Amino acid sequence: MNENVSLADSPSQPPDMGHKSLQVEQFSYDNKSVQLFAFATIFWSVIGMLAGLLAAVELYYPGANLNLPATTFGRVRPVHTNAVIFAFVGNGIFMGVYYSLQRLCKARMFSDKLSRIHFWGWQTIIVVGAVSLLAGYTSGKEYAELEWPVDIAITFIWVIFGINIFGTILKRRESHLYVAIWFYIATWVTVAMLHIVNSFERPFSWFKSYSWYAGVQDALVQWWYGHNAVAFFLTTPYLGLMYYFLPKAANRPVYSYRLSIIHFWSLIFIYIWAGPHHLLYTALPDWAQSLGVVFSVMLIAPSWGGMLNGLFTLRGAWDKVREDPILKFMVVAVTCYGMATLEGPMLSLKSVNAISHFTDWTIAHVHIGALGWNGFLTFGVLYWILPRIYNTPLYSKKLAGTHFWFGTIGIVLYAVPLYWAGFTQSMMWKSFTEEGQLKYQFLETVTQIIPLYITRSIGGTLYLSGVLIMVYNLYKTVKAGHLVKDEATSAYPLPKAITTHGKEHWHRWIERRPVQMLVLSLVAVAIGGILEMVPTFLIKSNIPTIAAVKPYTPLELQGRDIYIREGCYNCHSQMIRPFRDEVARYGDYSKAGEFVYDHPFQWGSKRTGPDLAREGGKYPDSWHYNHMMDPRIMSPGSIMPNYPWLLSNEIDTASTAAKIRAMQSLGVPYRSGYDALANTDLQTQARGIREQLAKDKIKTAPNAEILAVIAYLQRLGTDIKSVKP
Amino acid sequence: MRPTLLLPLLSADALHNPLGVVLTCVIMALGLIIVLLAYVLNGAAEVYRENEKQKEKAAAGNVPPTALLLLAPILADVAEPAPIVHSFSGLPPFIYYTLVLVIAFEIGVVLVLLFLLRNLLHVEKIKQAIPVPAHQWKQLWFKINRFKPMQEEATLDTGHDYDGIRELDNRLPGWWLYGFYACMVFAMAYLWRYHVSHNAPLSAEEYQISVADAAAAKAAYLAKAANQVDENTVKLLTDASDLAAGKKVFTTTCFACHGADGGGGVGPNLTDNYWLHGGDLQSIFKTIKYGWPDKGMKSWKDDYSPQQIAQIASYVKSLHGSKPAAPKEPQGTLTNE
Repeated sequence: MNENVSLADSPSQPPDMGHKSLQVEQFSYDNKSVQLFAFATIFWSVIGMLAGLLAAVELYYPGANLNLPATTFGRVRPVHTNAVIFAFVGNGIFMGVYYSLQRLCKARMFSDKLSRIHFWGWQTIIVVGAVSLLAGYTSGKEYAELEWPVDIAITFIWVIFGINIFGTILKRRESHLYVAIWFYIATWVTVAMLHIVNSFERPFSWFKSYSWYAGVQDALVQWWYGHNAVAFFLTTPYLGLMYYFLPKAANRPVYSYRLSIIHFWSLIFIYIWAGPHHLLYTALPDWAQSLGVVFSVMLIAPSWGGMLNGLFTLRGAWDKVREDPILKFMVVAVTCYGMATLEGPMLSLKSVNAISHFTDWTIAHVHIGALGWNGFLTFGVLYWILPRIYNTPLYSKKLAGTHFWFGTIGIVLYAVPLYWAGFTQSMMWKSFTEEGQLKYQFLETVTQIIPLYITRSIGGTLYLSGVLIMVYNLYKTVKAGHLVKDEATSAYPLPKAITTHGKEHWHRWIERRPVQMLVLSLVAVAIGGILEMVPTFLIKSNIPTIAAVKPYTPLELQGRDIYIREGCYNCHSQMIRPFRDEVARYGDYSKAGEFVYDHPFQWGSKRTGPDLAREGGKYPDSWHYNHMMDPRIMSPGSIMPNYPWLLSNEIDTASTAAKIRAMQSLGVPYRSGYDALANTDLQTQARGIREQLAKDKIKTAPNAEILAVIAYLQRLGTDIKSVKP
Repeated sequence: MRPTLLLPLLSADALHNPLGVVLTCVIMALGLIIVLLAYVLNGAAEVYRENEKQKEKAAAGNVPPTALLLLAPILADVAEPAPIVHSFSGLPPFIYYTLVLVIAFEIGVVLVLLFLLRNLLHVEKIKQAIPVPAHQWKQLWFKINRFKPMQEEATLDTGHDYDGIRELDNRLPGWWLYGFYACMVFAMAYLWRYHVSHNAPLSAEEYQISVADAAAAKAAYLAKAANQVDENTVKLLTDASDLAAGKKVFTTTCFACHGADGGGGVGPNLTDNYWLHGGDLQSIFKTIKYGWPDKGMKSWKDDYSPQQIAQIASYVKSLHGSKPAAPKEPQGTLTNE
């Protein structure tokens, strides 16, 4: 912490000698918004991490959900991911942007009213989102689980945020835009594009909808979104924050202006293309997978450009790093960024991905990014901002140092066991005996890594303890100071025409033109998406049709919606990759044409449990019944939670007709007028399953949800099986 | 000129042909790149003009980039596609050539724009004296990063000042820049190998190769191992170790449906005299090996080796006549074995 906390900057030099008539303008920075977003960041960090801890414990102690639907892993995990990304990091972005943008533009935020709407709107979205996810309302697409009314609200608030930052930029008193602002602009426009395109959905009730896209196309759009949510929500805005707060905290000039230019443009252009690396070896067309691979590899340098510019900025200031906890946090953050962005491209190589995908390796990888890069940078910024807007020194530098060590050891204890677990499990999956048989049952590969799951939750606890130390430290700091709501400052206004003198770098041209910057950023990020999506949507040969694949029956459709509601996709994939072990374990590898009626697709990204793409017909109905009631009856040692409520809940037959109509409007070929008859078919099929269960002395209510779930599970993958002899 | 060229394409359903879609996508992408470059060029030209003005020199010798863009339609009209009868992946020759021509033209425009941009920018190569730090490793570190000594920092200052943040203009670290180029070369080679020269296997081919390799390895193993048991040759195993191995599998897998003591559950009782699919060793072996999927018994041949299935079947036989805790009612036909 720098001891002199200066509040009022002296006005900078007049922009140009030729404008002697310009008068210094007095104005103030809005610190109230910064304070609100900072508090929200702290609050949601604790909530988001608690949800993560609960999910982590449930992986070795499934009973931790207390047998309640809302606290079950499949619902808690989306709450954890959404809370950490959109609530913790989201508020962190807004805190940093609202603080730095005003100072970089020498202007107060455009509108206090919009700032307030933005703040309260975003918090409302988070609360409504969390409650709806816990209640089982989910779109079933990872990191985009929130349902359509919330999606609309997000769009609205994001536009408010956009108006507010652009208003500020347009009325700025600084002639050129600093690199941090380039990143803010690219973030805003790209997130808007990603969110709108991926959220195309067909509502069929006030809080539920089906994805507009199906199967392979849905997967491509989703991972274009998912990957770039990492890029443009967790990376670019935070690079912007790094470019402001790191030079500030170190009191050193940014290392290389030309590196900023090159890494900014190449990063945003290349990032967009890399989405398909989440779908390697899946039914996505090979050419799209290859694009995902090569653009991921080309992404190494642009990403590392950011890391180098950050670390080299500290040249001549490394002695300060030893002293200052803020710089320590930032250095580890930037280093973690560098590690994660090298590891990402490595995981995108097919031979590595064949080992890492669907395992805990991915979880370890993203937590290096989330805990290291996002978490640590946020903590550094919080320790930097709050004393300044409260005009008081930090309560305890020593406690901040303690927090740093808790966090660092926490990250190591979190990540190392999961790397180990991921590699171990993958090797076990792929092991064959010399007779050519699979060596391990799936469950054996799970019980093997449970000690590592326990260690990981200890790492997480340690990290969270560090955060609680920070909460105390910042609480004491805030108590000791007084919020400077409106920080008085002054600057010369911007002259009508900005004249330049001497030889100027060509990039300075666009740095004076925020609107062109916005348009060019949009063009740069639009190219990759268009070139990958348009062919996948228009060219028939990318998704060869399979005549035997038919739409789900009404009962199966209801079962599928329950499967989505319970978040089964968080642990079970439905995508058999063309590997010898997967074909031996699960059946023939998945084909693109099998998913044409899947709105949304349910391929999953993690196999905590086995793949279910060809689950149909593998076990009797009664096996599924018992397994859902208590998985340990059928699979001792299983870590799947009990689903007793499926046995007592009734199928929502009132929604069947609307669901069929929604599917019809998305192009699923139910015959016209079928919506009125659907429930009759549903009852008939349910009766059949009841009779099957009755043979094994299991009694069920006529409309129990378990019947729909069994119907769906028994259907999975059978269309293509029936074709083969 | 582009709209008039694209019109016949749309009317000819080029968008329903894979090749047509790909080519159209390339055209659109190149179009976007041209727009982008034109923007940058415009900006650069403006900076250039301002610089020139300040140098108080006449800007007479410069060709404005827009003039070249105006030449474009003329260039496009000169070339006429030659009519050839056959089709290209189902695409009529006229449309194919038109599309290819548009792409070629666009590439030309991109090259011209890049050339102009390069000329305008006057990328100055400043020779740098590499400082000589004492230590060898440090020297290497300085060299690969193209560091300048700290005391020369003032010469690198861009003069930018944002809320007190200054910007230096250090050169790009050499290893970083050439690493970036290397990644691009890798990308090109990768795409070439998988999608043009086809000398690297795609996912499905990779699978076929791995299955063939495994089959060969298995055949080699079975040829020398005494493991060639099937339903015709299986013999009752009575060794304690074989039965223990069978029991282990039974109590960790089969028990789910047949009960830990074989008394039955979802599946039938295995200790009584009633059998659905035959109670002799050969039949039990067959049932385990191939399963009765319709009735909920899956095939285990991919999970267990023939030797293991023989162990399981022998263990099941050893359960006969035992007294399970909660026997299921008899199913199937009475057979006295």
